[in-house]
Amino acid sequence: MSDVLLCIRGVSVRFGGLQALDDVSFDVRQDEILALIGPNGAGKSTLLNVVSGALEPDAGEILLGGRRLNGMRAEEVNALGLARTFQGAEVLRGMSVRENVMTAGAARCGAGIGFGLVGVGRAATALDKLRRSADRCLEAVGLEALAETPASTLTAGQQRLLAIGRALGTDAQLLILDEPGAGLNATEKAQLARVITRLRDAGKTVVFVEHDLALVGRLAERIVVLDHGKVIAAGEPDAVRSDPKVIEAYLGATEIAPGAALEANDEGNPVLAIESLVVRYGGAAAVDGASLAVAAGEIVAIVGANGAGKTTLLNAIAGSVRPASGRVLYQGRDISGLASADRVCAGLSLAPEGRQLFGSLSVEDNLLIGRYGRRRGAGLRELLVAGHGEVQATRAAINMVYGLFPKLRERASQAAATLSGGEGQMLAIGRALMNRPSLLLLDEPSFGLAPQATREILEGLPRLTESGVAVLLVEQNARAALQVSSRAYVLANGRVVAQGRSRDLLHDPEIARAYLGWKGEQVPRPGLRAVR
Amino acid sequence: MKRLALLAIALAGVYLSGSGYLTNLFVVTALFTLPALGLSLLMGYTGQISLGHAAFVGLGAYGTAVLVKATGLSPWLTIAAAVALTTLAAWAIGWLVFRLRGHHLAMATLAFGIILHVGTVEWKAITGGQDGLSGIPRLEFLGYSLGSDAAIFPLAWIVCIVAILLAQNLVRSPAGYAMRAVAENEAVAASLGIAPDRLKRRIMALSGCYAGLGGALYAHYLGYISPSPFDVGFSIKLLLMVALGGFAGIWSVLFGVFFVVITSEVLKPLGRYDVVFYGVLLVIVMIWCPRGLLDGLARLSHALAARLGLGWMAR
Repeated sequence: MSDVLLCIRGVSVRFGGLQALDDVSFDVRQDEILALIGPNGAGKSTLLNVVSGALEPDAGEILLGGRRLNGMRAEEVNALGLARTFQGAEVLRGMSVRENVMTAGAARCGAGIGFGLVGVGRAATALDKLRRSADRCLEAVGLEALAETPASTLTAGQQRLLAIGRALGTDAQLLILDEPGAGLNATEKAQLARVITRLRDAGKTVVFVEHDLALVGRLAERIVVLDHGKVIAAGEPDAVRSDPKVIEAYLGATEIAPGAALEANDEGNPVLAIESLVVRYGGAAAVDGASLAVAAGEIVAIVGANGAGKTTLLNAIAGSVRPASGRVLYQGRDISGLASADRVCAGLSLAPEGRQLFGSLSVEDNLLIGRYGRRRGAGLRELLVAGHGEVQATRAAINMVYGLFPKLRERASQAAATLSGGEGQMLAIGRALMNRPSLLLLDEPSFGLAPQATREILEGLPRLTESGVAVLLVEQNARAALQVSSRAYVLANGRVVAQGRSRDLLHDPEIARAYLGWKGEQVPRPGLRAVR
Repeated sequence: MKRLALLAIALAGVYLSGSGYLTNLFVVTALFTLPALGLSLLMGYTGQISLGHAAFVGLGAYGTAVLVKATGLSPWLTIAAAVALTTLAAWAIGWLVFRLRGHHLAMATLAFGIILHVGTVEWKAITGGQDGLSGIPRLEFLGYSLGSDAAIFPLAWIVCIVAILLAQNLVRSPAGYAMRAVAENEAVAASLGIAPDRLKRRIMALSGCYAGLGGALYAHYLGYISPSPFDVGFSIKLLLMVALGGFAGIWSVLFGVFFVVITSEVLKPLGRYDVVFYGVLLVIVMIWCPRGLLDGLARLSHALAARLGLGWMAR
């Protein structure tokens, strides 16, 4: 048994109505590579924030090499030998690559403001040392050739590596990497895997959060799986991989009442048609030539692992990101030139990921805001003094939403921030419906919700389509999404890799495997080192 | 080093020319450069806005003036005491306001500036109110009075150049890297072991020290001070000086100060309406020249040249 470096004991964190972490306990051993995985909203980032000192837990304790980290600030935790990276890499864009890493040593080089002002002696030697150690760190992550380059010009992959190099620059024993593989292509991921293995061999301990399970399978010596704030599995990769609870957490286990799924209806004119859409972030294609169609009154699901490009695709349809090429046809019309606000007026509403409610406003006010697009579209006069017809239509829309989600009527005058997760999601959908859209874009409605709440929301969708509204549903909880939808597209790496009737996809074992991505490339894993 | 030599030559030229007007202009520039440098360290390098920096200049000026009149000590001692007081005050203000960020920080520093200004107007027993304090003794060096423009010119510029060099050392030192990290992303800075709040407070103190020194020298240079030069308008003018230089850039601060001092001369016929010009200029620079006026003009000329088909010029 190796020594325990980081010890997490009974950590709990609560955000309002959400139990983000619930009695989480596990150990990180010296010199190991440990992966922390789990579906979106499982609490991984919250746990990272707790461990790195950015967030104080409500209960439990964290020990690093036997020292209690509770109550310490992030810089104090770092001084004890723990360095973390961030989900967005967060390179310091105003600096060169080398300067980014030099910054990491600034706090512990023993030359503060006083020495800095004088400029010679200690500050000068410290600066020299920083530069040399920065170059060593850059070598370790393979960026030495780019030392002089402005950090802002790096590719996404290089930025991730720089973030790791910078964490190394603090001389930390324990590196905690938040989604180091996000947004990287296959070559960059291979490079990343080499770097992480090399760091472990050089005596560092690495904990990383990752959605790409192929990368996890390749690198991790042990895996801890979080779901809904709880540790649901922990141990050797093979055992974790075959654990039914893990597969359930990723694919979802929500059973929707039978008969809810409608018949596929892909004849006639589609409400929405997407033709070879490409969306790029920097160099990487987040959506890479996807095509799909949605007919009136149909529920279509887009499923796929995290980072597959689902949300980007939805945002491109809603108009908040601009595609590099391809067409978005709404009711037969190319809407590429239409601003996102105008798309809403045209009847294309988005209930965004994470709900994005106006927390300080009441439930009813949130709904009324959802009506703005329609009302503004009817002319400026309607905005100043709403006509009788518009007032009636607004009332009718509110009643329609309340009919769909009766819980909202009870909470009409309550501030949106005080709603539970499920009620919040109902409100987000209700707000999007206030414009009487013909197409509702629904992004991750089950995000952070318990199975019961997910079921309640998804079972409401077929009732919605009876009035002719089409729903395009993006879901991580594939099982639930496939049960509620009539047709589905499976997205991987920005491409549609499978499509068809949801019923068929649901029972296709290949889908589950492709979706989970465990198989990955057959690259030999770095062997476990002999136990000392 | 080259820039320092050029500056020295220019200064020597002005000094030897014997022009009273130019000498006066340059002394004023040197005294304004001190607070502007302090503000650049705080805003440009550490990313913390202050709209009340004139108050620190005022604190330095009133501090030494009140002390020297009450105790009769040597002005050199009271300047040191006033600068120490301002540094301490800035640290304490930092301790108070750096719980805030962005707009809230701007509002708090603005309010602080207004409070101090009102204090100098209303606390008549100590500050003399609107009438101000007169009869502040001139500085003396080895029995030689530094009362005239020509006499204080070398002192002002030696202090100013030392301040420039120190600031330049600082931003190039490890602490300078820490400052830039805090300016860009406090969470990242903290994850690298840099304590953002402590650093911000210390830079605020240093910034106050620079401002207080400028103010204290100003009081002894003029021999008379009143509240009006240290009002919010001056804070905005300091902001403009730093913005013209692109916020971060020790030498470009000097450009900003010169620019404002010279335009002030040109705008004298406008009287108090000069504020309109500064306001418009500030808006323009903030929106279109985030890296300073020179950089903005360079980019504009390149864009124009490219549009006119003068490829060789744009290159």
